[in-house]
Amino acid sequence: MGDVIQIYNDYKDRADFLTIYIREAHPLDEWQMKSNEKDKDNVCYVQPKTLEQRINIANDFTQRFKFPLPFGVDEMNDAANNAYAAWPERLYIIDETGRISYKGGNGPFKYDPKEVRAWLAQRYGDVTHAGS
Amino acid sequence: MKRWLIWTSISVGSLLIIGFVGLSFMAGSPKDALAMVRFALPHMHVGNLKPGDSAPDVRLVALDGKTRFRLHERTQQRPLVLIFGSFT
Repeated sequence: MGDVIQIYNDYKDRADFLTIYIREAHPLDEWQMKSNEKDKDNVCYVQPKTLEQRINIANDFTQRFKFPLPFGVDEMNDAANNAYAAWPERLYIIDETGRISYKGGNGPFKYDPKEVRAWLAQRYGDVTHAGS
Repeated sequence: MKRWLIWTSISVGSLLIIGFVGLSFMAGSPKDALAMVRFALPHMHVGNLKPGDSAPDVRLVALDGKTRFRLHERTQQRPLVLIFGSFT
């Protein structure tokens, strides 16, 4: 996540960014990870059953990390997730003509912000803001 | 014939055990391996989209829980980086 924020800080003057919150990957009532337990990262939620629950978790996330990127939440029919085969996490770049220019792999193993940075660097040159 | 059947069963059984052990190792534990099969694999898809395809337009909800906007409203003059994910 830190990588994505840094890419955003470096390239937000040149490209647009949108984070899309989709169904939870490791909720309490499904496949909870040890690293999410209360005595560790304390990220304990059940899978949202209503849009209100989904919105609440998305707000917890953005507030806890002071997450600066523009944000949208997938509807409960998982339309965005289904259209982009996004679960559990995935990166895309859509070009100015509205076409897919980059499609990243499924997370966690094939989720690679470095590929997004390379795409942006090829288009706009290497940008790294000091302190970001 | 009977001997062939026994050896086939042993081979298939061994492959299943090796597969489950491998999955347990990858996921962290046998419990995680079962959870992965039950809760993760059904939701994980490669998807049909490929570079060059039109980006599907979808309706999203803003953090206020009320405002709706369309993805295509954000694809205007500049490239749009999409980051899909969740909290957990």
